[in-house]
Amino acid sequence: MEAADTIKILVVEDDAHIAEGLHLNLTLQNYDVQIAANGIDGLRKWKDWRPHLIVLDLMLPGMDGLRVLQNIRLEDERLPILILSARGEAADKIKGFGYGVDDYLAKPFNLEEFLLRVKRLLSRAVWQPGQGERSPGDRESVWSVYVFGNNRIDFTTASAFCRAGEIQLTEQEIKLLKLFISNRGKPLSRRKLLEIGWGYSRDTTSRTVDNFMVRFRKYFEDDPQKPVYFKSRRAVGYVFEHE
Amino acid sequence: MKSFSWFLHPVIIFIFSIVALGLSLFLYIYWYVEVSAGLQTVLRKTNLDPSQFVSWQTWMVIMVLSILVGIILVGIFIIFVYQMKANALYRLQNNFINSFTHELKTPVTSMQLYLETFRMHELPREMELKYIDYMLADVARLTENINRILNLARIEAKIFEGKFMLHDLVRVVEEFCARNGELFRMSTIRIHNPSGREFPYPINRPLFEMLIMNLLANAVKHNDSETPEVDISFLPQHNGLHISFADNGIGFERSDARKIFRKFYQIERPGRPQEGGSGLGLYMVEHIARLHKGKVRAASKGAGQGAAVTIILPWRPEQPAAQLEPPDVQQ
Repeated sequence: MEAADTIKILVVEDDAHIAEGLHLNLTLQNYDVQIAANGIDGLRKWKDWRPHLIVLDLMLPGMDGLRVLQNIRLEDERLPILILSARGEAADKIKGFGYGVDDYLAKPFNLEEFLLRVKRLLSRAVWQPGQGERSPGDRESVWSVYVFGNNRIDFTTASAFCRAGEIQLTEQEIKLLKLFISNRGKPLSRRKLLEIGWGYSRDTTSRTVDNFMVRFRKYFEDDPQKPVYFKSRRAVGYVFEHE
Repeated sequence: MKSFSWFLHPVIIFIFSIVALGLSLFLYIYWYVEVSAGLQTVLRKTNLDPSQFVSWQTWMVIMVLSILVGIILVGIFIIFVYQMKANALYRLQNNFINSFTHELKTPVTSMQLYLETFRMHELPREMELKYIDYMLADVARLTENINRILNLARIEAKIFEGKFMLHDLVRVVEEFCARNGELFRMSTIRIHNPSGREFPYPINRPLFEMLIMNLLANAVKHNDSETPEVDISFLPQHNGLHISFADNGIGFERSDARKIFRKFYQIERPGRPQEGGSGLGLYMVEHIARLHKGKVRAASKGAGQGAAVTIILPWRPEQPAAQLEPPDVQQ
């Protein structure tokens, strides 16, 4: 097990008092802690700092906590994430777990319980290889191979067999494909695609989304001008469907 | 999207009913004409005396039927509109409950966190003091929220303290600003009284001060400027006294001018986080103004161009105190 003082925890919480209180307590437990006050800052710190665990509040200004969660899960399913939220109804918890959170604690919470849950999540994460690392090759994943029409996407090798032959997919393309597949049949707005697929950074525009769609259609559609799998819905966005 | 199917059902039912109604009106008239013609033929063939049968003029039948159908139509439409309003209010109320729950739970969470931390660890005194100050700030925040909700409940039930007494409104505002200078020390508040006169009017002082507080707090909160500025002006007009609160804040679109007074309504600004307000401030302001027999108007040149909220009170220059009747209140 890694030495306790190298374990990094990212706390995404907008209330300054609570954030500082969590920082204090986790530091006293010998973790290395950073705070993010909103979703976008949280995603940035996750990408740059690579924490071992994330404590996530749901009611964040700007990007909602669940969108942040979805964004992270598209790239990393293993990273332990604990939600700390004022919304503690069963329906909220179900939603959170549905999006792949590992633990859910309602506010106001008991400090000792929180610390123990964090400790447990971290110790479990150590047993699996490649914790938090982005090597698509050795990750054991629920995503393996996906087939639709004459196309076959292999997530383990980040490649696809399609109309254009065998192609390597970029990380961003993989993320988007996962997003579309998990929302098969449901239209996704450009805004949602930007927030979840790209973490809504300032230099992406919805043109970026459209360009990606053109690319997907070129790869996967028999006739890119008449898309069957990646359709657009006027005023709503894009939808991925197939029989 | 879930909200879409919510909308679709009453609208479809509404359209369907209208179509069915229109169709039935057409058919009633059509069949009436058919039956009438048929009856005429029978009468002619059998040589019966037509005066034995009540014969209505066709145009009168159509008119009566149309009026009745028209009334039904109006009824359906009114019910439909009420339904839409009830739905909107429900949704806003839901949003309010969600955001208010967060507003209440957050300071409580913070206090529990620090208290349990103190129990677990012995911290150096300056750290302790810092966190004790945080907790006191949380208590203040909670108290403010509790008071807000209670005030709202009281105002709606018309249960409030203080009688309606004659006060010079300019003095009331000046004294309020002086007493609460600390709260607004980061802003500039100016009072203008170009006519220089006094404006005695019967007010319930605690309520009126709540109104002033809400307007000033709004002006300062929804404000991106370095120094928020509020100009309070007393302008007697032909229809009464206009007290306007003009600020250099983020303003609003024309279309929101009446909506902002609705209960729980908060303008959605995608770029900015929800300011954690309750959407109740202006609702209370209008309510209080009405209790004082006045009304409120809001105006703004557009987003980013400030706003002005004006209270209009039916004040008359020469009004002996005896004539002014305070409204009915439960004490």
